[in-house]
Amino acid sequence: MPESQLCSDTQKVSIGIDELDVQLNGGIPTGSTVLIVGSSGSGKTTLCMQYLVNGAKRGERGVFFTITEPLFKLTKNLEGFRFYDKKLVETGMVNLIDLRIISERLGLDSEKYTVEDASALLDVLRDIAEELNVKRLVIDSITALCYRLQTREMIRDFIFKLGTSLAAMQCTTLLTSEVPPRTFKYSQYEIEEFISDGIIFLGDIERRGDLIRTLQIVKMRGTSHSRTKFAMNISTERGIELMPLLKS
Amino acid sequence: MTEAIVEGLKDRVSKAIKIHQSIGVIVPVNNYSDLFESIMDQILGSKDELWIYLTVTKSYDTIVKSYKSIADKRNVKFIDCISRAAGISRIDKNCVYIESPVLLEKIIIEILHIAYDAKKDAKKYLVVDSLSALMIYNNPETVKEFFQHLINKTRSEDIHTVTIVIEEELDDYMNKIVFLNEKIIKVKESFI
Repeated sequence: MPESQLCSDTQKVSIGIDELDVQLNGGIPTGSTVLIVGSSGSGKTTLCMQYLVNGAKRGERGVFFTITEPLFKLTKNLEGFRFYDKKLVETGMVNLIDLRIISERLGLDSEKYTVEDASALLDVLRDIAEELNVKRLVIDSITALCYRLQTREMIRDFIFKLGTSLAAMQCTTLLTSEVPPRTFKYSQYEIEEFISDGIIFLGDIERRGDLIRTLQIVKMRGTSHSRTKFAMNISTERGIELMPLLKS
Repeated sequence: MTEAIVEGLKDRVSKAIKIHQSIGVIVPVNNYSDLFESIMDQILGSKDELWIYLTVTKSYDTIVKSYKSIADKRNVKFIDCISRAAGISRIDKNCVYIESPVLLEKIIIEILHIAYDAKKDAKKYLVVDSLSALMIYNNPETVKEFFQHLINKTRSEDIHTVTIVIEEELDDYMNKIVFLNEKIIKVKESFI
């Protein structure tokens, strides 16, 4: 089957950021696991929240697992954005869960997880996704989660199993990946990108001393997509917006 | 005398902008203020048209000090690229502040947003004041690329543009850029 036909037959999940959806030929293929890579302040959390909120507005339930930020801080930051609607959280269309609390309740508060610990956590994530019947899931960040997994094999196994089981539920997952600024790495452990179906890289460039945020789709299985670098603007009024980056 | 000059310039620019999608106005530095006044006059007299004024030359605050009523006009929006960079931090309903004149992509995003928010049938005009000032903050290649994008985008959104260039700063590079416009008006000191 020609690739173009294959792409048009694939069901897509719209991110809800117009220009990004256009560059993805309609959105992320349903059931994919996509790595959102960037350094601190690059817009990973904002992009993921916009993805969940826009999904909820279309009737698709979502869940956001935070590991890096307490819920009160997360919601306080979100309230500044116009796209954020508190009612979506109150009605359960967007679920915000502190994964550290879940871990503690499971007795997984040790520094490093064993294989059994990781398996228990995976089961809980799957159960929550199933129980809430979510179609969109975010883990912010997979880097913080992987920190507790002791080997590269455990990381690979964890992400693979998570992605496979969520794909079976037609749930599309975004995993944020923290990298140091100005590096061409997609993940801390250099394994996450190989198991993911897609990579969206949030970076920045310096122009005469000013930093310009950039976004680039590096990989997206199951759809043709642009690999052009875009200038990314984040505003409280309109969230994330893209414009082709001036190359000169 | 000055009034007649301002009227004359206003007439030339307003006629040209109605016919052409994009015009470049090359003006001697001594006559910049006359041109500025003529454009402001035209903007103040407009009602149903949308005017977007991209300023890299004067801060919005300075413009409002000279034309107080412009702050309350609903059909005029300013994009100020220099106040924030100069450490002036304020919020105005008629002005979008850009952190730095280097953020050229953001400037295009803001222009398009203002245009999208306007009434569908409203005629839309954009003033770029000025290409010469943008050149101070950016390298010429980037400004050329920016201007090409701007012309293409505004054309597709049916926004007519007036781009000001200071004659004394017109080098080979700026010449190439300004001639991307459909029509060039050269204001001569002798004319004035």
